[in-house]
Amino acid sequence: MTNRRFVLAAFATTILLAACGSEPEPQMAPEPTGPTAEELERMRQDSIRRAREAEEARLRREREAAERERQRAAEMARRTLMETVYFDYDEATIRSDTETSLRAKLDILRDNPGVQLRMEGHADERGTSEYNIALGNERAESVIQFLTGFGLDGGRFTSVSYGEEQPAAQGSTEAAWARNRRVEFVITAGGDGIGR
Amino acid sequence: MLKTGHAIRTDGPARPVIHAARRGCRPAPGLPLIALLAGFLLAPPPAHAQDDVAIPGIQLGLAYETLYIPPLAILPFTGPATSREVIAEVQSIIARDLDFSDRFVVLDSLPEGLADEGIQYSLWDQYGADWVLVGDIGEFAGRHFLSIELHDIVFTSVERGRFPLPPLGDEDFRMAVHRISDSIVEWVTGDPGPAASRILFAMRPFGNPSAKELYVVDSDGENLRRVTWDESIAISPTWAPDGRHAAYVSYKSGLPRIYELDMADGGERAVEIGRADQQITPAYHPNGEELAFSLMGAGLFRYNLRDECCLAQLVGGPANNIQPSYSPDGDRMIFVSSRLGEATPQVYVIPALGGEATLLSPYRYGQGGYFADPDWSAVSNKVAFAGGIHRRRVMNRYHIFVADPEVGDNRLIQLTAEGNNEDPSWGPDGRHIVFAGERSNGFGVFIVDSGTRRTRTVVASVRASDTDWSPALAAGPAGAGNR
Repeated sequence: MTNRRFVLAAFATTILLAACGSEPEPQMAPEPTGPTAEELERMRQDSIRRAREAEEARLRREREAAERERQRAAEMARRTLMETVYFDYDEATIRSDTETSLRAKLDILRDNPGVQLRMEGHADERGTSEYNIALGNERAESVIQFLTGFGLDGGRFTSVSYGEEQPAAQGSTEAAWARNRRVEFVITAGGDGIGR
Repeated sequence: MLKTGHAIRTDGPARPVIHAARRGCRPAPGLPLIALLAGFLLAPPPAHAQDDVAIPGIQLGLAYETLYIPPLAILPFTGPATSREVIAEVQSIIARDLDFSDRFVVLDSLPEGLADEGIQYSLWDQYGADWVLVGDIGEFAGRHFLSIELHDIVFTSVERGRFPLPPLGDEDFRMAVHRISDSIVEWVTGDPGPAASRILFAMRPFGNPSAKELYVVDSDGENLRRVTWDESIAISPTWAPDGRHAAYVSYKSGLPRIYELDMADGGERAVEIGRADQQITPAYHPNGEELAFSLMGAGLFRYNLRDECCLAQLVGGPANNIQPSYSPDGDRMIFVSSRLGEATPQVYVIPALGGEATLLSPYRYGQGGYFADPDWSAVSNKVAFAGGIHRRRVMNRYHIFVADPEVGDNRLIQLTAEGNNEDPSWGPDGRHIVFAGERSNGFGVFIVDSGTRRTRTVVASVRASDTDWSPALAAGPAGAGNR
């Protein structure tokens, strides 16, 4: 600022001096004491650049915030997609809490057509181990049917049943059994594209 | 013990069984008064207690026959002093095998002097032995032989045999002695014993609670070895009729797929049927060339392993159809289907190439029931399966049942009465059944004699599943399972 004021003052003095000299007294113009035109131009460019940089930084911060928000939303979407759903004893039918979870998945799957899922069906330890593989498969297929019933392409889903072989909770209690009667979800393709 | 007391014994010699109308219990004449009183006090038993055991509408009264089990005396085996170790080992293996055959009451702690002067039939008759076994180990050209005499005290005749023995410590030594035991049982009963055989099963390996591997053990509980090392899930092993190969299911590719093991050399191949489905529950056709199995969600199929061709569907439809097992002649099979509703798997009989399925397990409409794990004996033409009447949210207690497919479910025999019992598989004698069980003192592999219901532990304190008993293992490379 000081600099700029000084430049202005120097200009004004020059003009005043020029106006006063009615008699063209040949007189050497005083050597300008302020910045040269080149210097002035450089200063101008410099200030423009600074302003631009400040604006870019602001935009970058905004973009980063938006990206963080997008990633957070994508992570939420991934979490929703991978949220395990549970079943009643010896049942493969969709319970109401399971339906809520599946409907949330449905929205995400619609928004992200590149996403593919593997449904992993499980059973609790009651019943024979081999029939439980069939039961786990029914649960996985029941989930796939629910989603394709809403118009999703069945080609996006695969399934595998582990029966009672991979319990989520150990023990022979109703609480452990309830946690083991489940379908888990694994994103097999398109996971990086969620939310883009 | 049952709440109704006393009616069923699983661990004793045969005795008449009194069972068990649906309500209450009729004690046998001659039972101690205290049992009779207990019967009155407890009758009618609580409904939930009945649910564990009784099957409505099924008469379990003809549980097993009253058998006379002849006493068999084993004289101390003889032989050169240099072979003392072999003599002791051979005698102990044979004595135990004959006991485990459940065809004899084995007497091997004999009074002094009874055998001093040759076999005097009248003396043995007085002592109460119906059979007397004499064994002598000989050595010729560096090899051991076992000479056996089996004296029939009642009919005063004798059977003789001479058997070569592998060197003590040879991997086939015990199996060779088991084969001698089985021959002795055959001399007496006409049918070989089940000793020369092995049992495959699945369990979690030590140190990796999420994996499941296959293990094999000799029928007498010796020689427990791990078979697979995939650190994946290996289940549903099934022996081929040749006693050398076995098929099983592994998740090592990510999906359940069938593989065939060569138990002799450890070789393995994937069964490539050209379909992406999940493959479970394999079973060999008696011809050893074809395999039946379930493709998840699609039904039962068969495939020719030798020619690697000819995939054909046997059973379809929307229900689960799993766990096929062929009849001895290969003309029919049993399998498990959920066609009556998903909560009630039942056992059905069907022509081997598909057709009309006949219900074999004791399903009663509205009463549930859960019956699975069927196995058709290659020898006795009987079917074993596991299951029970179960009510929702009640801990399941399954028992081992035997049915005659010619007769159907009206002559169902229940072999177990305590704990949980699954995965029955017939032994090579068509009489004993191995199963995975849970008792108050823990899990294990058990063998029950369908004639006497005597039950013994093969492997204690292991949480085994998918038990499968081999056919009789012949000598030589074909009779392998030796790895």
